Amino acid sequence: MSGRLSRLRGPNNEGLLVAVILVVVVAMALSSPAFFTAGTFFALVRSSMVPLIFALGVLMVLISGGIDVSFPAIAIFAAYSTVKWVIGAGADPGPWVIIAIAMLVGAVLGLVNGVVIARFRLPTLIVTLGTQSIFKGVLISYIGSVYISAADLPDSVNALAGSHLLDVSGGGYLHFMIVPVVVVAVLVALLLSRTIFGRSIYAIGGDTEAARRVGIDVVRTQVWLYVLVGALAAFGGMLYVILGRNANPQSIVGTELDIIAAVVLGGASIFGGRGSVLGTVLGVVLVQLINNNLVLLGIPSTWQRAAVGILLLLGVGAQALGARRPNGHSVDVEPPLEREEVAA
Amino acid sequence: MSEQRNALRDVNSRVEAGWSAVLERVHVAHGVGRMALLLVLTFTFFAVQRPGVFLNPVNLTNMGIAAPEIGLLSLAVMIAMLTGGIDLSVVAMANGTAITVSSLYTAVGDAQGQAAAEGWAPLIVLVGVLVGVLLGAFNGFLVSVVGITPILATLGTMQLYNGLALVWTGGVTISGAPSALRSMGGTAVAGIPVLTIILVLCAVLLAVVINRTPIGRKVQLQGANPVAARYSGISPRSTLMMTYVISGLLSAVAGLLFLSRNPSASADYGSSYVLLVIVIVVLGGTNPAGGFATVLGVLLATLTLQVVASGFSALRLSAYEYAIAQGVILIGVMVLDQVRFRRRPLRRRPGMQDRPVPTPAEK
Repeated sequence: MSGRLSRLRGPNNEGLLVAVILVVVVAMALSSPAFFTAGTFFALVRSSMVPLIFALGVLMVLISGGIDVSFPAIAIFAAYSTVKWVIGAGADPGPWVIIAIAMLVGAVLGLVNGVVIARFRLPTLIVTLGTQSIFKGVLISYIGSVYISAADLPDSVNALAGSHLLDVSGGGYLHFMIVPVVVVAVLVALLLSRTIFGRSIYAIGGDTEAARRVGIDVVRTQVWLYVLVGALAAFGGMLYVILGRNANPQSIVGTELDIIAAVVLGGASIFGGRGSVLGTVLGVVLVQLINNNLVLLGIPSTWQRAAVGILLLLGVGAQALGARRPNGHSVDVEPPLEREEVAA
Repeated sequence: MSEQRNALRDVNSRVEAGWSAVLERVHVAHGVGRMALLLVLTFTFFAVQRPGVFLNPVNLTNMGIAAPEIGLLSLAVMIAMLTGGIDLSVVAMANGTAITVSSLYTAVGDAQGQAAAEGWAPLIVLVGVLVGVLLGAFNGFLVSVVGITPILATLGTMQLYNGLALVWTGGVTISGAPSALRSMGGTAVAGIPVLTIILVLCAVLLAVVINRTPIGRKVQLQGANPVAARYSGISPRSTLMMTYVISGLLSAVAGLLFLSRNPSASADYGSSYVLLVIVIVVLGGTNPAGGFATVLGVLLATLTLQVVASGFSALRLSAYEYAIAQGVILIGVMVLDQVRFRRRPLRRRPGMQDRPVPTPAEK
């Protein structure tokens, strides 16, 4: 691979993703003039927001060498219980306070994950599988199982749900919530690239033992990571409630593997130590582009899932083939698993 | 009722006697002992709490009918985990088989009449199983030839197979299944549901393959130490291919059981099974990093979770409270394991050295 080409590809195949997205966009634009409208673009942005927030959390966990499948349960637990509590209390402290409370709830649930994972050094997939069941079970058994519709939501939440950043007459609108989503994405990017905490996450994912030897407090970093990811998931859950104007305790859970697929498509390594916010954004956008607009290519919408599956396989397949080229002889052998989390 | 309880006690004491004898003679495989204990404990607990409902033959039969499909899927994931991989696509493969059989049966029935469709049933079932095997082989190709990490390869194929099933069915539930399959779901031999017998047969077969055949040895060594396996002249490519084909085959049989329980198939059936099955496999003592797993442990874990599920419904607890129990059991067992493990000086490495040697006498 020549230097220029690999620079274009980006550290995590971001360049490749941009190329794929461009190809898809051009194909869609050629096959349907309806594609290049503000409405299509705004719909894409709107449908990408919630998955993106979840994906940022998944990204951080993947970079640290783990896999988190409990984030949808945390998201809906935090969002639903907060909204229900606010309604029950008859108060309406405003959407930002509600979001803050939800994020606090999410952080506490994340703390549970973090403590179990870091203290007992258990495989992250297994732990989060367990906590996913527990969180969802507790939510529906003890907190509430009733669908909360727009009529019952606090007025301030409904007001926020209807606020647009940009209105194009006849062409849809850009939802206001894009602002906090972009802010969060930038913050996560800065956190990962500019702070000791962020670099520690990469270090732990790259080689836990080496990270420990250079003096990183692995346990503390992991606990804070899961607290942060829990809070992020809760924000995603609130975003889901605000955009959908309802709180349904049965929703969100079940989407975890789709989100992980988008993040992996975005170039994050399942072995940890690699991944970027830019790649994740591109991965999420590509998946949503396909989900929203596959019909424009003349492909029935039932093909969405299969199309995302094929893309994911092509993506990871290209990575696998690319990774083994430098030393051609190790073709047959799987890289030896470094940590127990990896295979889990 | 009391007769049955007596018989049960009889069986219990015999099992326990046999168990302690086994304990004395061989090193008990990791996972089997604790799962057996957990199974007995949970069973006794629910039997004492709600003897009328829980020990009711109908309930016991229902458990025997519901558990096998989960058990087969768990075995399918187990063998992948034995090589250090995982198979997330098992449910999608099972649905692939079920959908193939159902739609072929309906198509033949429409074209040539019901009787002809019944006549073709064995062939239709065979084609269905073949579909499962082919899907498994594709997983094997991606993992062994292309070299994609199993969790990613099967995450992708899970989406792909599920997506293709959606395309084929148009997202709706299709119905129809050969009458032989349908009647199989309701039949019992000597009080034991046929489905349970199928699960046990498959499990015994798999245990023999893993413990008594060269293929099984290769699979175990591949998971325990891939480098050593390669230096021993084992081709990782064919071993992994074989592993995922077996996984596809077991999933295909699970797909047939789906149909026999309920003569309809859809792309969404059992979507919550993927994670449940992983819980079962890990509870059954399978090392997620590969190299160690026992068929018996996974079977016992399947039964334990089924007992808890039935027991919870006997106690009128909801499916969500069952979900809580599932999570608590999983994390509880893992934490206990780890606390015990902490006494060893070195942290766990996915190597052979700090793991009990797999005993060939599990089944």
